Order: sequence, then C-alpha cells, then structure tokens
Amino acid sequence: MSGPFVSARSLSKQFGDHRAVDNVTLEVSKGEVISIIGPSGAGKSSLIRCLNLLEVPDAGSLRIGDTSIDFDNGRPSKAQVAGLRRFTGMVFQSFNLFPHFTALKNVALPQMRVHRRSRAEAEERAMEELGRVGLTSKADSYPAQCSGGQQQRIAIARALAMDPELMLFDEPTSGLDPEIGAEILQVMRKLAADEMTMLVVTHEMEFARQVSNQIAVMVDGAVIEQSSPEKIMSDPDQERTSKFLSAVLGR
Amino acid sequence: MSDFSWLYDWPQYIPDLLPGLGVAISLTLFSCLGGYILGFFLALGVESPSRVVHYAALVIVELGRGVPILVLLFLVYQGLPQLGLMLDPHPAALAALMFSAAGYSSEMIRAGLNSVPAGQAEAANSLSMSAADTYRFIVIPQAARISIPPLVNLTIIIFQATSLATVITVPEIMQHAGVIGAATFEYMSVYTAAAVLYLCITIPGAVLSGYLEKSMRQKKRSKRKAVRSLLTGSPSLPVAAT
Amino acid sequence: MGEIIAYIAMGTGWTVVMTFGSAAIGIVLGLPMLALAQSRFSAARGIYHAIVHVVRGIPTIVWLFIAFFGVGQLGITLSPVTASLLVLSIIATAYMAEIYRGGIQAVPAGQWEAAGALNLDQFSTLRFIIGPQLFRAVSPSVATQVIGLLKDSALVSTIGVADLVFRAGIMTQYHAHGLYMFGTAGLIYLALSLPIAAFSRNIHARITRRYALA
Repeated sequence: MSGPFVSARSLSKQFGDHRAVDNVTLEVSKGEVISIIGPSGAGKSSLIRCLNLLEVPDAGSLRIGDTSIDFDNGRPSKAQVAGLRRFTGMVFQSFNLFPHFTALKNVALPQMRVHRRSRAEAEERAMEELGRVGLTSKADSYPAQCSGGQQQRIAIARALAMDPELMLFDEPTSGLDPEIGAEILQVMRKLAADEMTMLVVTHEMEFARQVSNQIAVMVDGAVIEQSSPEKIMSDPDQERTSKFLSAVLGR
Repeated sequence: MSDFSWLYDWPQYIPDLLPGLGVAISLTLFSCLGGYILGFFLALGVESPSRVVHYAALVIVELGRGVPILVLLFLVYQGLPQLGLMLDPHPAALAALMFSAAGYSSEMIRAGLNSVPAGQAEAANSLSMSAADTYRFIVIPQAARISIPPLVNLTIIIFQATSLATVITVPEIMQHAGVIGAATFEYMSVYTAAAVLYLCITIPGAVLSGYLEKSMRQKKRSKRKAVRSLLTGSPSLPVAAT
Repeated sequence: MGEIIAYIAMGTGWTVVMTFGSAAIGIVLGLPMLALAQSRFSAARGIYHAIVHVVRGIPTIVWLFIAFFGVGQLGITLSPVTASLLVLSIIATAYMAEIYRGGIQAVPAGQWEAAGALNLDQFSTLRFIIGPQLFRAVSPSVATQVIGLLKDSALVSTIGVADLVFRAGIMTQYHAHGLYMFGTAGLIYLALSLPIAAFSRNIHARITRRYALA
C-alpha cells in the first residue's frame, strides 16, 4: 500500500440547514497522531464520526487501508462499511460501554462475534488488553461499578482487542475530571509511543502539543489549517487559529 | 333459593372447572408467545424509516389496541367466514388474543427499545458487530429490562381476557361454569368458584409484576446515582497549564 | 345497508352511557378509596389492597355474570343495565384509585411540608396545593383508563345490554356478513376513543403550559 493510510477527500455532511462538515480533506500516515482542535460546534465530532461511518457523508470520498468509498455515488454498501470499520477502533466521549456486561465480556464479546474467536481466546486477549490499560482487577466488574476513568479505559481496551490499525478518539476525556482525564491521556500516550495511528478530537492542548505529529484546526465545519504542533501553537497562519488558541489558553 | 349456602358450597365446583383453567392457561401462553414475537416485529415496523412500513405497522398496532377484544373475537369467528376462512372456536380465540397481545406488546417493546441509548448501537457498529448481533447481544438484553415488567402485566390481562372466549364456545373456565350453572342453577356458587380460580393466577401474577417493577426502579435509581457520582467535577473545558 | 349500519350505530348510546357513567362514578369514588389507601392504619391499607386486587384480578365478564346471574339467583334481580353499570363502576373505582395512588406519589413531599409550614389546613392543602398537582399527574392515565372502560363496556352485550356489539351480533344473525357488522362496531369504538385521547392531550398540554408559565 502506498501513500497515506487514511485519505479523506472533500468530505461534507449536512444536518438540515447546518453544514457540520464542509469540504474537509485530511490525510493520516501510518503511525501518525493527528489531533483535531477547534471551538465547540465546529464539527470535530461530526468529522470523526464520518470517518467511522457513524454518520454517512453526503459528498466526498474516503479511503482507509485498502477500502475506499465514494460518497458522491450514494450510500455505501454494507460490505464497504464493514471493510472500512475493520481497520478502525472508536472511543466515545460517553464511553458507551455495554452496561449489562462485565468489563471482561465488554471486551471479549465483540471479538467472539466479529472475529469468530473462541471464548477462551477472546477472554485471554481481553485480559491482555485490560492489562494494557491497567485494569485487570476490574475484569469482573460491571460498568456501573467502575469510575468514569476506568470505564473509558475499558472502552479503549475493547477497541484495541479488535486489532485496529487506526484509533479514533472523540473527546475521550471531556466527560471526566481533569485528574481522571490524565489517566486516559497516559494510556493514549503509550499507544502513540507504540506507533498506533490515531486521530484525536480533543480540548487538551497540552496533549495535542506533546503527542501529535500534526494538529488540524477546525472552525465552522472546515479544516482551516493543519501543521506541526510547534507551528500551530507559536505561529499559526490563520487569525482564527490564534484567536481560538488565545481563548482556550488564556493568553 | 335466597340463601347464603353459596358462601360455603362454592369450592365443590372447583374440580369441574379445572379443565377450563388448563385451556385458559394454554390459550394465554400460546397467544402471548406468538403475540409478543409479532409485537417485536411490529415495534421494529413502527420505527422503520420507510413510511409505508411505518404506517402499515401503526395501523395494525392501533387496531389491536383500540378494538375491544370481544369485537376481535367475533370478527375472527363470525367475520372471517365471510372471506371463506372458517376457524374452529379454539384457533379463532387464539388468533384474536394473539392479535391483541401483538398490538399492546409492540408499544411496550418499542418503549424498551427506545430506552437504549443511541451510543450503545454506535459502539457496537464501531466494533463492526452485525445488525443481528447488535440486537441480540446489545439492544434486546437492555430493552428487556424495561419491557418485561409491563409484558408480565399484559400476560395477566390476556389470561383474564381468555374468559371472553366463552362467547364463541371455547371450553375455558367460563364455558364450563356456564354449562354447570345452567344445569344446577347454582350460578352464584359456580361463578364464585370461577372467580377464585382466576384470582389464584392473577394475584400471584400481580405480586410478581409489582416486584419486577420495583426492582427495575431500584436498579434505575442506583444507575442514576452511579452516573451522578461520575460527574462530580464541573464539565468545564479541561485546559492544561501553559 | 344504511339501515343496518344505523341499527348498529344506535348501540353507541348504551356504549357511551356505560363508559362515561362508570368513568364518572370511578373518578369520584376513587378519591375516598385513595383516603383508605393513604390511611395511617395498616388494616385500612390492607383492606384497600385486598379490594383492589380482588376487583382487578377477576375478569370483567365474571363480575358481570356474578352480578346478573349469581345475584339474580339470590333473589335480587338486577336489570342488565343496572348490573352492568354497577360492575363497570366498581372496576373503574378500583382502577382510578390505583391511578390516584400513583399520582400522589408523584407530588413531591416538599409540597406537603411547604403547605404545613405555611399553616394551611388540611382541606386547603388538598384543594389548592396537592389536588391540582395530582390532577396534572393523573390526567393522561385517567384518559387511558376511560378508553379502557370504553373497550370493557363491550362486555355488557353478554348479559343483554343493547350496545354496539350486541346489535352487531343481532345483525350478523339475521344477515350473516359478520365482517361488516363487527367491523362497523369496531370502527365506532375506534372513533369514540379518538376524541378521548385528543381531549386528554389537550387538557394535559394546557395544564402543563400553565405550570410552565407560573
């Protein structure tokens, strides 16, 4: 496979009159971490949901790995959706753990059903992933018995157990206290160090600056600039970027 | 005849009514089993994005819920022959009760399905789970917690409604009671015995459904508490120090 | 054909009388039952629960047959209309009482406490503070129950009250075509239930709006 691992071209998504994603073009190479920042309502979550086809874009095209979909020709087929999602894991702001399963089963069941792994195999892998996020002790707990930070780490383990080559994070820490969010960011740093390809929607500027290879700034549905963290943080090209940064960083 | 002997001689009729109880219970079980499966698909139909499917399902649901069961019974037993479909009393009663159970249950099942947050299906989607697996492992088990208490209640209501099948001569409890009453003129005793038989099922049923509802509510409360304890911090923008 | 439909439709009279007659009685008599349910004495509450469980646990048709055939055997002859109204009213009372009991739990305890702190007497507390909030809480359930009574009222045909079903049955005996006869009756039931549902939505929306403004 040549070229970037993820290639989104001119993606657009409209909700009623509101253009949530406006002609966005984005490329992610293998092992790269890209953070998407921007004010609330800028369409960051819509964009990342489009990449996992939780929202189907109205126009543009998307390629992840070997699967490419052209949205100008109508809705993608089931096989295309499945092919594209096979490569990606997604972590939600609201965790979305299955409340009626233990942590172990949350991580094991999707492997058994999608990858047809045996129970023993799936549970072994689940324990491995729970270990990676430091939660083997919570394997038999239900989500309601876990703290928010623990739930989010279980959700990350659940996504990782599916062997993704790309991880999408949709504001994974914004439902959490800052010190608990730090736990999550620690796990994500480790993933980045292991060269996982990651796309992260975040408000955590420090994380974006330290961990990402590139930062994309989104305003009003469009990516207005994309560059290295140093450039974005110290010398952005766009005035709206510096405005946004000065507002969140308070300087 | 104007005496109070019925107050103590009703139990002697219970054995004669027991075969009717068996018929009533089997009618209940089969019409509920079929009706709830049908109700599940009607619930999916009402939620369907296709307008045709949505309205078709809605009309069936509203007919099942809005038309008295007695009328449904007559429609099936005395109405369908007009279309060349003659059913014996027993299958006719089964069909009418099933139709009614489907209509009522579909709304209860729909409420359960709608109570499952959208994020649950999204998470399953993002994990590449198939639609069938998403329903089977993720949505239905969670929806069941909401739907089961009212469905238990509905089962009791359908059990009571089997008494109506006497009007089309199904040999359930009231049919037996009517025959005995006509022969002995001991209507008060016989119908009291029938009433007691119904209570033997409906009161434990009501206790069970009350218990299920209460345990559901407690579960919901503890879940709410759990959520609240997670959201202690203010949801302000967590900005790292610069 | 028109004559037949007219004959069936005349049954609407008894259907409406049975439905709204029993509903009105149930709505009123449900209140003293609520007092019983809220009593300080556990025996009174026990009696309340026994009554409600027994009334609701026995199918309506069994109550009708007891009231008509059974009581008749004891030498007190009730006409079909009297027996029907009596039975439906008793059932309505039990159901309404349960609805009120659910509704009163929906009124926050703080309302009683606030009324007490303001030194309102019991009557004023009920009339002006609790009553209106109870009314708002129960009005949708009451409407649903009235629709339930409408459908239950179909059973009075089994003891000879000439309601919609009774008349549809007679026409079927004369002319066959049961699908048309009972179909007509069924449509009239649906038509009767629509205004009740609309009325309830309207009243609920009005009350809720008033609360929202206040």
